[in-house]
Amino acid sequence: MAFPVRLALRHILASKTRNGLTVLAITIAVFLLCFLLAVVKGIDAGVRSASATRLVTQSAVSLFVSLPMSYQPKIDAVDGVVLSSEFRWFGGYYQDPSNFFPQFAVNQNRFLEMYEKDIEIIEGPDGITGPGARAAVQKALNSDRRAAIIGVGLKDEEKYSFKVGDTVPIVPAIYQRADGGSWEFIIVGIFRPLKERIPDKVMYFRSDYLNTSIESGEAIGEIAAGVYYINIDSGDIGDVVASTIDDEFLNGPQRTQTITEAAFASFFVSAIGNLPLFLGTIGGAVLFSIFFSVVNAMLIAGRQRLKESGILQALGFTPLTSTFLLIFEGLMVALIGGALGLSLAVGTEGLVQDLFGANIRNYKIDSNLMLLALATSSALGITAGLSAGIPFLGYRPTEALRSMG
Amino acid sequence: MSNKAYIQLDGVTKKYSRGGEELVVLDALDLKVPEGDYVALMGPSGSGKTTILNLVGGLDIPDSGKVSVADTEVANMPKSQLPAWRARHVGFVFQSFNLLPVLTAHENVMLPLQLTPLSKSERKIQADFALEIVGLSDRASHRPSQLSGGQEQRVAIARAIATDPDVIIADEPTGDLDRNSADEILQILDRLNSEMGKTILMVTHDPAAAASARRLLKLDKGTLVSDQTREGA
Repeated sequence: MAFPVRLALRHILASKTRNGLTVLAITIAVFLLCFLLAVVKGIDAGVRSASATRLVTQSAVSLFVSLPMSYQPKIDAVDGVVLSSEFRWFGGYYQDPSNFFPQFAVNQNRFLEMYEKDIEIIEGPDGITGPGARAAVQKALNSDRRAAIIGVGLKDEEKYSFKVGDTVPIVPAIYQRADGGSWEFIIVGIFRPLKERIPDKVMYFRSDYLNTSIESGEAIGEIAAGVYYINIDSGDIGDVVASTIDDEFLNGPQRTQTITEAAFASFFVSAIGNLPLFLGTIGGAVLFSIFFSVVNAMLIAGRQRLKESGILQALGFTPLTSTFLLIFEGLMVALIGGALGLSLAVGTEGLVQDLFGANIRNYKIDSNLMLLALATSSALGITAGLSAGIPFLGYRPTEALRSMG
Repeated sequence: MSNKAYIQLDGVTKKYSRGGEELVVLDALDLKVPEGDYVALMGPSGSGKTTILNLVGGLDIPDSGKVSVADTEVANMPKSQLPAWRARHVGFVFQSFNLLPVLTAHENVMLPLQLTPLSKSERKIQADFALEIVGLSDRASHRPSQLSGGQEQRVAIARAIATDPDVIIADEPTGDLDRNSADEILQILDRLNSEMGKTILMVTHDPAAAASARRLLKLDKGTLVSDQTREGA
């Protein structure tokens, strides 16, 4: 092993407590950096994957106010609209409130057409897979009003383990049944999302199951659409189509607000405040404070190493040798901490995904994040080493030799 | 021993500023040390002894005058060349040993050899030889904290001679040692001078150490007040 490497490693090992704490601080900083950026990226992924040719019409009053069913034909009639589909929030849970996943009532045929490129049906009735699965699922959806399709996450997650053919009872939170019981849905298909904004733990079922149940008195609730998703000809005419739709219902029972799918996705982010900014600020503050503590630790190491710099100069080394040693030492400590923090972030990825569930489905420590973490660690170590090592260059050998370090 | 001056100081003046006051540490000092000489420098604190060592070793530069070693004017040498020159020509022995505590005795001795063009195996042989000269081959793998003061100073001497320099500069090499250890160190220095021909410049307050040198220079207030050659030397 080269002399400078060996000497730097000996110094690291000689100050186990100080360097151990510095490594721990960097481990925490890098873990937090990875965690917070993965959360931010996870939130952003949904927004970024939104379709440019899709609009969402919601109540101008609140997202929680439903729109009349009568609006759909009028929306379909607007120039530039290709297809619209209602999406109604159901809000139930499976067996226990902790087993919550989103359920939406949709028009099954419009939904499948609209989401043709957004989801891939991977399994249909009787174990059918491949290109024929979509048609088989559509047929099954149309043949039973209780039919539903689920995202693959509800099949994969152990506590659900739903499969095609299962009857799944969902306890309602909004649409109570007159008998006080659960709603029963029959799984006829499983899909895999092709867009990041679509969760993989979600269920879509026929809205007419809900509507007819309310009409017949089996269930209590309002027959209405939650929001309308609208496919348009081209992203260029989005503003015009949105204005036309909103103008159409200006004097209707509910005024509407039509926005792009990306803006709609962003709404959920902004609904809990500017989360990315908030998380970024916390992460930045933590990083900065840890950065200063690492620099401080290296400065202490530097002060203790001043006499060594004098000795090395007396032996014929240049002052740069000591500066380099401190930079190398800082880099090593930071990289060890960075690698540990990164390992922690990667190791807990699955756990965090489980904790976030469908809320931040795209939480992932990807290769870009890994590179960023290692680059940040390296920069931190080099900067700390430089801060401690550069002052050496200003000392004469005799001054360095006289120091107490 | 040649009579030609190997180390030469001509009209060297060195001043330090301390607390706003200017102190003249060396005042137009002239000094000639032939190759292979063994010189002890004595004098009260602040008389300029260590400053002479620092100037000869290229660790400091004079305010005026010339300092030359082996016909090389040290003070005029570019700053970037000084470390390499030091590595080739000068070996330092300090009062407080100044070994790197994180390295073993052998690794400490290997340190200056890193700056030579020797191969790794040649460096190891050279370090082994240096430790053998000071009688510490069996302590090569020990850290400084595992050695006595006398042993530490012997390792420091081994480090100083590892690159086979012409000049050994020793700043109170026995100052931190008991009598027995000090005598061992003086015997080693004597051998380095008499058997290996090293030119030794030693600052000391120890009369026994001074007596072991061939020549005794006494300084006071930056000037040479006495220059004695030991009888029989």
